[in-house]
Amino acid sequence: MKITTFHSAARAATLAGVAALVAPVAQAQDYPSRTIEVIHEYGPGGGTDRFIRAVAQPLSEITGEQMVPISVQGGGGVPAYTNFIQRPADGHSLLGLGPAQVIGHIQGRMDLDELMPLARVQYDQALLWVPADSPHETLDDFLAAAKENPGRVTVGVTGAAGFDDVVVGLLGLESDTMLTTVPFSSSEMVSNTLGGQVTAMFEEYGPARGLAESGDMRALAVFSEERLDALPDVPTAAELGYDVTLGRWRAFAMHADDDAAQAQTLYDAIEEAVAAESYKEFEAQNALQYRSELIGLEEFQAFVDSEVETYTTVLRELGYIE
Amino acid sequence: MSAYMDALTYIVGSPVNLFFILFSVVWGIVFGSVPGLTGIVGVALLIPFTYAFESEQSLLLLGGVYVGATFGGSISAILFNTPGSPEAACTALDGYPMAKKGQAGRALGIALASSALGGIFGTLVLMLLAPPMAQFALQFGPPEYFALAILGITAIASIGGGSILKGLAAGFIGLAVATVGLDPITGVGRYTFGNNMLLTGISFVPVIIGTFALAEVLTRVGEGRNSKEAITDVSTKLPSLKELGSMKGTLGRSSVLGAIIGALPGVGATTASFISYSEAVRWSRHPERFGTGEPEGIAAPESANNSAVGGSMIPLLALGIPGSATTAVMLGGLTIHGIVPGPLLMEQNTRLVYSVFISMMLANVLMLFFGVRAARYFALVLTVPYAVVGPAIVVMCMTGVYGLNGNMVDIAVMLSFGVVGVVLKAMRYPVASFIIGLVLGPIAETSLRQGLMISGYSYAEFASRPITALLLGLSLVSLIYGFWGRWKAARADREAEAAARAAE
Repeated sequence: MKITTFHSAARAATLAGVAALVAPVAQAQDYPSRTIEVIHEYGPGGGTDRFIRAVAQPLSEITGEQMVPISVQGGGGVPAYTNFIQRPADGHSLLGLGPAQVIGHIQGRMDLDELMPLARVQYDQALLWVPADSPHETLDDFLAAAKENPGRVTVGVTGAAGFDDVVVGLLGLESDTMLTTVPFSSSEMVSNTLGGQVTAMFEEYGPARGLAESGDMRALAVFSEERLDALPDVPTAAELGYDVTLGRWRAFAMHADDDAAQAQTLYDAIEEAVAAESYKEFEAQNALQYRSELIGLEEFQAFVDSEVETYTTVLRELGYIE
Repeated sequence: MSAYMDALTYIVGSPVNLFFILFSVVWGIVFGSVPGLTGIVGVALLIPFTYAFESEQSLLLLGGVYVGATFGGSISAILFNTPGSPEAACTALDGYPMAKKGQAGRALGIALASSALGGIFGTLVLMLLAPPMAQFALQFGPPEYFALAILGITAIASIGGGSILKGLAAGFIGLAVATVGLDPITGVGRYTFGNNMLLTGISFVPVIIGTFALAEVLTRVGEGRNSKEAITDVSTKLPSLKELGSMKGTLGRSSVLGAIIGALPGVGATTASFISYSEAVRWSRHPERFGTGEPEGIAAPESANNSAVGGSMIPLLALGIPGSATTAVMLGGLTIHGIVPGPLLMEQNTRLVYSVFISMMLANVLMLFFGVRAARYFALVLTVPYAVVGPAIVVMCMTGVYGLNGNMVDIAVMLSFGVVGVVLKAMRYPVASFIIGLVLGPIAETSLRQGLMISGYSYAEFASRPITALLLGLSLVSLIYGFWGRWKAARADREAEAAARAAE
């Protein structure tokens, strides 16, 4: 621990020395002084990309500087993480943080200690969806079928051994059933569920909303503390006796040795940005208003620590880690 | 019908809308033709600007870019052996050899005409058959994807003209290279040798840019100043009706395949062009001519990938599921305008949907005019000495590959596969088989494992699904037929030799 502190102090001193030679020392007042880049591992047009753009729009009006998403796809987020770590800790590079990084940390592919959690903006909630003509009317029907035919009740998820697997796996552990998750790309997951190739799918409300409104799919349960206003008849899993409330969250992180004053400045700007009319509208369109409470810095660090603990337990019980 | 008239008057009645279509096609051709700047990037860059426009206008723009970019990739594929976008990789296989024979203009003309015909066919399917096609696509589960990929892969033995063994070997190398990276089902790293940056795998784009573009530059440098294969005559000539007529089988088959494969979620124009190329080889009377500048080798992938553009709009508009990476970006653009994509979209936003149909049709027609012009400007580059163009191509490839994903490993992959490409060519291993293995291998692997999970690891249940059984049966028959044809040809050769000897 001491060595790390020494190193970062030495690095800070060197940086300050260099900075003093070339340019005036960066101060919180004139921060940000250029475009802020947010590195993330998802494709353009996806949930995380749109999240960053939605925050960026009001944020650039507040700070006078642009914020742009940089997509470094694939590899379970490792290339995006590496790209971010290799950038200088000058406050102008951020990382899109979420459950994927927590899982990567537990798997030993990333190191959350290298990051400073800045602000958790969104806290989504997922549901278990079945096609309209499915024989399963309730979550208990569905779980009973899984008990009767072990391995034959399948749940489409996105990503391999990722967040979706953890939540569906936790439901299996809570209900003592074996649920087979089949990983797909998000569009294939929807088509395979509609086409009846898999029994159900795991998806957040926003992307599945169109299919719910047209009546092509119905939800068996929502994984959250409370029911959604939009789907008042869909019970929470917790109501039915399965304590699964994990949700996908979307957040920003800085480098662990970024300047604390800059972090505070940026957090305040983000707080102002997500209160803006345009962001609120985006939030409502994507059904993210239910439990997306902005938390930052210390409080967020505590949340991340508790997530690491939960995910470690579930991943171990599911056999993904030793 | 009145809804169509409404949409038509909306588009034609406003010069701004017409300008948007025109602009987006040209923008798309430019993005498609520059390696590393794909249609996806072209669409993604325009999305922030569409905030300011109506939702119809933003879709006009994005649809036009998609159409233009899918053709644009073939320009650089034909002139420089540098596929500007992944779906144009197949076009380089025959387009560049034809250009080297001094018929660059003819190759560009065939690519352009096939693109427009395929694009118009795909748009017609979208206009007339979107709901039933979307339902048909839902019949395709993992076992069907697997069978489709296998059908394409079995063609690797017949490609390359030379030896079956070399074709198979190159194909298997491609399949093997595709397994590097994250395991698609368990998320475990494979063949990364402890380097986490390799978890992304050996991505397809750096590999094609390496094996095509870089390998070509290296080969040309090796030939020195004696290189006689300078590309001349680049004035784009659209093929005559007679020439098109002689390819009608390939054009029709590829367009149908393109529309169907495009409509399948998760696979798009690139897969469509590779499977159509495989089928074109399989159905041809002269499979040995492919790879040496065969017109049908250009017509098949180009008509298929443009037809797939219309096809991939089908699940997007009918179900709210993007059929390809580019339509996934468009979906993001739609939601910005507060449109909820889903099965109700076609009922609730008829003007929007019909505007897309009409604008895509117009975009395909406009492409015919602007494609000819765009190719002409690109061809000016060819008047510059290769000592200048070659290094410029290398720089373009490196920045393009890096820009695509910001991953330095991709540059290392591209450089290594440049060398692999030279070696494959020098030893006469068909690059086409290698690339087909690389593209279709991951689809086959992932869908086989997904399918087995769904069928409870029962191979019988997996293979007995009607579409799967049909496609797998076709693959088997064509494989046996191909081997039998080779055997017969070899025997005929031997007999002819024996007869010649006897005559002496």
